[in-house]
Amino acid sequence: MLSTLIWLPLLGAIPIALFAQTAKQSRNIALAFSGAAMLWTVWIFSQFDLASGGLQMQEFVSWLPVLGLNYDLAVDGLSLMMIFLNSLLTWIAIYSSSSDIERHRLFYPLILVVSGGVAGAFLAQNLLLFFLLFELELVPLYLLVAIWGGPKRAYAATKFLLYTAIAGALILASFLGAVWLGDSFDFSYQQVLQNQLPLVSQVILLALLLVGFGIKIPLVPFHTWLPDTYVAASPPVAILLGGVLAKLGTYGLLRFGMGLFPDAWALLSPYLAVWATVSVLYGSVTAIAQKDIKRMVAYSSVGHMGYVMLGAAAFTPLSMVGAISQMVSHGLILALLFHLVGLVEDKVGTRQLDQLNGLMNPTRGLPLVSALLVLSGMASAGIPGLVGFITEFLVFQGSYIVFPVATIVSVIGTGLTAVYFVILINRTCFGRLDSQKAYYGKVSLTEHLPAFVLAALVVVLGLRPGWLVQWSEVTSASLVAALPEVEQVQLAWQEETSKENISFARQVPLDIALGE
Amino acid sequence: MPTADFWAQTSWLIPLYPLVGAVLAVCWSPALIRKTGPRPVAYISLLTTLVALVHSGLAMAASWGQPELFIQLPWLDVAGFQLTFPLVLSTVTLGASTLITLVNLLVQIYAIGYLETDWGWGRLYALIALFEAGMTALVLCDSLFFSYVLLEILTLGTYLIVGYWFNQALVVSGARDAFLTKRVGDLILLMGVLALFPLTGTWNFSELAVWASTPGLVEAVPPLTLTLIGVALVSGPVSKCAQFPLHLWLDEAMEGPHPTTILRNAVVVPTGAWVLVKLQPVIALSPWAVGMAIAIGTISALGGSLIAAAQIDAKRVMSYLTTTYMGIVFVAVGAGQTDAALLLVLTYAVASALLLMATGSVMLTVVSQDLTQMGGLWSRRPVTGFSFLAGIAALVAIPPLGGFWALLPLLNGFWQHQQWGLLAVVVVTNAVVSFGLVRMFGLMFAGERTAMTARAPEPIWLVMLPTAIMAGLTLHLPFVMDAMRILPDWGSEASPLAWVLLVSSLAGAEVGCFFYIFPRVAEPTKLVPGPVNRLLAYDFYTPKIYQKTAIAAVASLSQLTDWLDRYVVDGLVNLVGLSSLFSGETLKYGNSGKTQTYALTIAFFVALIGLYVSWGALTSLLS
Repeated sequence: MLSTLIWLPLLGAIPIALFAQTAKQSRNIALAFSGAAMLWTVWIFSQFDLASGGLQMQEFVSWLPVLGLNYDLAVDGLSLMMIFLNSLLTWIAIYSSSSDIERHRLFYPLILVVSGGVAGAFLAQNLLLFFLLFELELVPLYLLVAIWGGPKRAYAATKFLLYTAIAGALILASFLGAVWLGDSFDFSYQQVLQNQLPLVSQVILLALLLVGFGIKIPLVPFHTWLPDTYVAASPPVAILLGGVLAKLGTYGLLRFGMGLFPDAWALLSPYLAVWATVSVLYGSVTAIAQKDIKRMVAYSSVGHMGYVMLGAAAFTPLSMVGAISQMVSHGLILALLFHLVGLVEDKVGTRQLDQLNGLMNPTRGLPLVSALLVLSGMASAGIPGLVGFITEFLVFQGSYIVFPVATIVSVIGTGLTAVYFVILINRTCFGRLDSQKAYYGKVSLTEHLPAFVLAALVVVLGLRPGWLVQWSEVTSASLVAALPEVEQVQLAWQEETSKENISFARQVPLDIALGE
Repeated sequence: MPTADFWAQTSWLIPLYPLVGAVLAVCWSPALIRKTGPRPVAYISLLTTLVALVHSGLAMAASWGQPELFIQLPWLDVAGFQLTFPLVLSTVTLGASTLITLVNLLVQIYAIGYLETDWGWGRLYALIALFEAGMTALVLCDSLFFSYVLLEILTLGTYLIVGYWFNQALVVSGARDAFLTKRVGDLILLMGVLALFPLTGTWNFSELAVWASTPGLVEAVPPLTLTLIGVALVSGPVSKCAQFPLHLWLDEAMEGPHPTTILRNAVVVPTGAWVLVKLQPVIALSPWAVGMAIAIGTISALGGSLIAAAQIDAKRVMSYLTTTYMGIVFVAVGAGQTDAALLLVLTYAVASALLLMATGSVMLTVVSQDLTQMGGLWSRRPVTGFSFLAGIAALVAIPPLGGFWALLPLLNGFWQHQQWGLLAVVVVTNAVVSFGLVRMFGLMFAGERTAMTARAPEPIWLVMLPTAIMAGLTLHLPFVMDAMRILPDWGSEASPLAWVLLVSSLAGAEVGCFFYIFPRVAEPTKLVPGPVNRLLAYDFYTPKIYQKTAIAAVASLSQLTDWLDRYVVDGLVNLVGLSSLFSGETLKYGNSGKTQTYALTIAFFVALIGLYVSWGALTSLLS
């Protein structure tokens, strides 16, 4: 049942690569397959049991038992939200691709491969399978940036590739440690959960994961690939990158960082909260200074992912729901922003803030695009009534009890978000349109369709947040329930690190090296 | 015919009528307006407003003499965290929503005349309707959380409505500053909202008041926390009510269309004071927060009235008067006089709406808002002139009109608690406001005709009719207050304070007359020392202070992090990349193909490693 989400897009890639004659044909086939995947996702939603916090719709095929690698899929509230985002944004990315794109027989299949791979990663219940799929999306994305990107695409794509490869290596190292240190060779998630690792090893392995996924999310200071890549990527690819791929990082942290190393997570949580807050402030402040809209949105992403991190660091039931919902709301808003920026760039020919002006002009500007830009900017800035507010609010309210100072400082971050979005709107939508140059093509309704869909979701889920948060509520509760009390872990840590345990911990990697 | 109770029970519909109006109005794109003309948008909006007004009025009548009615509308229930939208229906809340819808109705008619030649009516009426919905929801709502939500939505509304004529530079910066200043207040309020919940377990105003008065509960909270929360809860309304030092936005927001200015100054800004009044029990827990409210209120009241008296821009005078009166409300809330504060909000809203309507009626045909360009309008503009006078009399304390009845109980309260300083603040402010308004009246209506005013008749009836109705309402407000039994009893209140208040109003007006209506001095501004005059005229140089502090700080910080990001964080990454490239490039020249070189390299490193491995043994050998 869940396999469909992986194989349907991959299957769709074949006819496009082999038979499609024109770019239009390719696009239609891709739309059909991703649309089918979207419908399938809706069907999975209808089958999802809201009351259960555990894994559902499990699928298991034995693959390479010797390695401990099996084809093992299942879904819970967290994965469900992620596959929703993946299916929706893939469809939107394909829809918003230019209909006369070059090398269409490569472009659409690559997007579909990415989508299938990412869906698999979100569903995988085997550590190696997750890692495999996590790495699998890297190559097509590299090509998508390197071939169809903007002026600095080669630099950006290589940077992206190197960063993600390093992230992958760190994640793999952590996974291997989590399994082998537990004297086991089974990489199935449920099995690894049983491993009781000493706290020191947990901390080391979690640190590896934090850096690995921290690159992917990205968190400061591992974020510098992001602005370059977003700027170089074409809008549809940027939608995928920011809306879906970045969520692999936060998903990985919640699923594996928090799930596999609960004690270490609880121990490090105060530092994670500080890290999250630094990310929030750093991303928001840096975004203010940007002149390129895409760069601005890229830094805003760094800030917004910080809220997810804050919620996860606080791990109260409320903050977890908030963190998971924030991932979805960020994906929706970011996709909307990138789609609109794509339209502006397509019609006006620039996305530089010091060149754009007066797009709100009702006759010669792009009034509808401007209106939607205001909506998405305000949603991102956390204005109530839109989805960005309630998810941030849940994170804040949930985290305040645990980390009051970090939460209050993060609230300042939302204020800074408002600053740069006001700059963005004032420069692009407001102001006087330059009548000499303003002969912009009309934006047709079909071009607007993705924006309408996303804007409707942003508004509806903002007014009825229950429809968004209900899916992950039980899962969040069970995720949080697995974590220990912070004070307990701190005591345990003091005991473990006080005496000879240190030397034991240092020997552990050596034991592995010797193959014991 | 539905029963009276039916109207009260269905009061939650009141904000929804204008919301429907807003959704319908926003459909009127310029393309559609080209087909239908702009008027239908206004008619839709008027209709929904009228429905809301009638419903509010009926519900108010139904709630008469009844206990407060609470309605809970569930909104979100997640992870044990329940958010319900609580409505409190009483004569006060429904009366406020009646007032809001009434002022809205009049202003919407006014706007038809005032903005006749404009092209963006869809946007304009949608936003006016959004404001109406937001404000009625706010006054009916009994929750701090939802009040915050609504205030924040209104912040966005302010941004869009001030930015209505978005292709003018001043409008764009005015909209930006309005949004950001209000957002600052909103976010500090949000911090208070977040911090309050874990302590009280509720955001409902009525339950907060109970919490604050329950012995034992409050004492358990550290005083520092209470102080911080109290200060945060005061700070939100500070920006909403344009109090010092966050008052500049209201002045810049005057760049927006005048009908929206009427709404903003008369009813939107006072919603901030409304929230403050509701929060008074919590604020009163912290002496610091109380002190802050009183201090800010005092500075705003005195400073605002002085600045208003020094402006030559008609709209600016009005803007600073709003700051002034909201300042008095802050002082009243700080002193714990919530009833007097609410009464003042009511009389202020009615009188300032009238003053602004009359001012707009002048500006429309004079085609200027510069007071020094005006003069001699009285003979040609009797209706406007009379309305303006009525507005002045109703705003400052002149019996038997509204302002007098609101300020008198306030002074009585100060008298009883022997708060002489606060008493003096109110009396002096009242006198200065009185002077400032008479000065404005004199500059506009008295004296010689000027080039600008020579051909300035009364404008179209769509403007004049609402103004005249508003004037009638203002003059009849004491009767309404009497009917609602909120008029203080004359017999017991005929204290010396009434005389003090009257004398202060008359003294201010007298001085105003002396200089500006029957001028005895050629250039009254010369009487004030230049630096003081400039200080007041330029609003205590607040724009410069902003530029040099907050704006400079954020701008330079963002430049700094951007630089760090490009050259340090990313620079480090690129350095790693470059150095690995460089070492690769260098090493390739080592590939000469000569076996002996390779052998030598290998031998050298083997020796090195051997040395390293056996280092311990070697050192022990030597020692």
